[in-house]
Amino acid sequence: MSKPDIAPRRSFLAENPSVMWFLGLLGLFTLGVTVLAEGFGLALLSTSMVKILGMTLCLCLIAVAMDVVWGYCGILSLGHFAFFGLGGYAIGMWLMYARTQGIVVESLANAPIPPTQEEINDAIATQIFGVVGSNELPLIWAFADSLFMQLLFVVLVPGLLALIFGWLAFRSRVTGVYLSILTQAMTLALSLYLFQNDSGLRGNNGLSGLQNIPGLLHLPQSTIALWFFWASAAALGLGYLFFAWLVSGKFGSVIRGIRDNEARVRFLGYHVESYKLVIFTLTAVISGLAGALYYPQAGIINPAEIAPIASIYLAVWVAIGGRGRLYGAVIGAAVVSLASSWFTGGGAPDIDLGFYTINWTDWWLVLLGLGFVAVTLFFPRGIGGLFDMLVRKP
Amino acid sequence: MTTLLEVSGVSVTFDGFRAINNLSIQIGEPELRAMIGPNGAGKTTFMDIVTGKTKPDEGRVIWGERNISLLGMSESAIARAGIGRKFQKPTVFEEQTVRENLAMALKNKRGPLDVLLYRRSAEGAARIAELAEEIGLADDLPRRAGDLSHGQKQWLEIGMLLAQDPRLLLVDEPAAGMTPAEREHTTDILKRAAETRAVVVIEHDMEFVRRLGCKVTVLHEGAVLAEGSLDHVTQNRQVIDVYLGR
Repeated sequence: MSKPDIAPRRSFLAENPSVMWFLGLLGLFTLGVTVLAEGFGLALLSTSMVKILGMTLCLCLIAVAMDVVWGYCGILSLGHFAFFGLGGYAIGMWLMYARTQGIVVESLANAPIPPTQEEINDAIATQIFGVVGSNELPLIWAFADSLFMQLLFVVLVPGLLALIFGWLAFRSRVTGVYLSILTQAMTLALSLYLFQNDSGLRGNNGLSGLQNIPGLLHLPQSTIALWFFWASAAALGLGYLFFAWLVSGKFGSVIRGIRDNEARVRFLGYHVESYKLVIFTLTAVISGLAGALYYPQAGIINPAEIAPIASIYLAVWVAIGGRGRLYGAVIGAAVVSLASSWFTGGGAPDIDLGFYTINWTDWWLVLLGLGFVAVTLFFPRGIGGLFDMLVRKP
Repeated sequence: MTTLLEVSGVSVTFDGFRAINNLSIQIGEPELRAMIGPNGAGKTTFMDIVTGKTKPDEGRVIWGERNISLLGMSESAIARAGIGRKFQKPTVFEEQTVRENLAMALKNKRGPLDVLLYRRSAEGAARIAELAEEIGLADDLPRRAGDLSHGQKQWLEIGMLLAQDPRLLLVDEPAAGMTPAEREHTTDILKRAAETRAVVVIEHDMEFVRRLGCKVTVLHEGAVLAEGSLDHVTQNRQVIDVYLGR
């Protein structure tokens, strides 16, 4: 029971020691990476490693969002990586436009006749869209010169898409595996559309050079990487805190009720569809924000990132980490995505069996698949469930 | 006693099978009413119609003193209007504690934002304690609902109904699977609830109905076959033929 005279934030943290533990560990991790990073202290961690860790934190954030929508509310969405990608595209448009603008203005500065605004715009369009055989800026790039507008789109585009899609799906009472298929169809349609050259987002080339932050080009990448790492850590911390608060109280009770018995919640007088819509949209927005932090660190975004398989991986991370517990999602995303880049990036040594060599680049997916099956069969609560056993032992 | 719910001329057909056939029933407030009848008589379908789960092909369902039609309303809106339902199979949220189950049912604003910003209050806690006392689960509030016995789950669900503070309770086979002592307690809870509200109980067990001591409606093939005191309906020739005699 909370005592009414205590401020809500304090009593919330006091009542939820796991949140405090998480935030503490995240803070320690951030401090550790900062001290070891190339851009700050002992230079024991390369800049590319700092970027990988920063990106991993973004993946942890979308995994937390996925855990809320799936693990708590029971909606197995296979579309949250599409929202993640849309956030990345929204910020990527500004990064690419503003950087190209800088290059164009600089190169035309020495021209004998000062260029008109029209000439500059044409040059930017040709520079960005020459690769797909176009020299015009598509309409969706209308606000690409404004960081503020594109940041707004980071929230609005995934949010509105989720809102409209969710409204249509939930009001028709599409549930369970049918809803999963529907979200997957949405993701597939979106990625197929983006693969087209005339999609307005450079087709399968995607957006590139996103690691170059306009206005900060004089700073070394090691510093930028660290800044983005801090921003990712802050976003994960705040996102975790927000979702932990969301699922801890009566709201959490209602959405877990919806997961376990939707009809019963309806007969208690709750408008189930509204709750699903709120959760679906809210987690889509957070996914978009995570994507907007991820892709400047990755440097490139292309439609393959949005393909349905990415969203399926997301579900696998959350399942392995443990559904219905936020730290489980973080553990799952961190462990599996880091292991994935270790195995497929040539980090793991090949195993020579004499008659056959196990090449991890090819066999990693098999290992992941076996791991997923093993977790589903033997540890349905995932890695996070092991923590529960340790903590709750009498 | 004023009329709270008026069902008139309602019919429902499922794939050519007439589950409800020109059914008319009136429920007053307060009132305790038992509903009996053979399997397939339309008892549960009647509850489905009143709670908005099933839309009838024809007929009217009128609610309250302002004569609102329930037919166009969603399940959640009907629940908010003051109709609570207990299902045949006990359906509580097994993963959550008894306290959380009751808190979720407690009469409060149901919108997502209201619920998100909801703060636990002393009145709420007191009401939950009072309900737990009523349903005999005062010592079980922190327990996981899934760990309760079958009978306790049934009571918890009745407690959740009472927490909604409905004007009409629809209770489907509350005593199924209960021991005789548990049945007696259940009768007491329902009788007390019916002092201030309308309570409709579907039950197969005649002994249980007798203990309720209320007006009985016998359904058969989707229509009312007989209505009156238990003694009255059990002496009805048709009732004996279609239900009791078998």
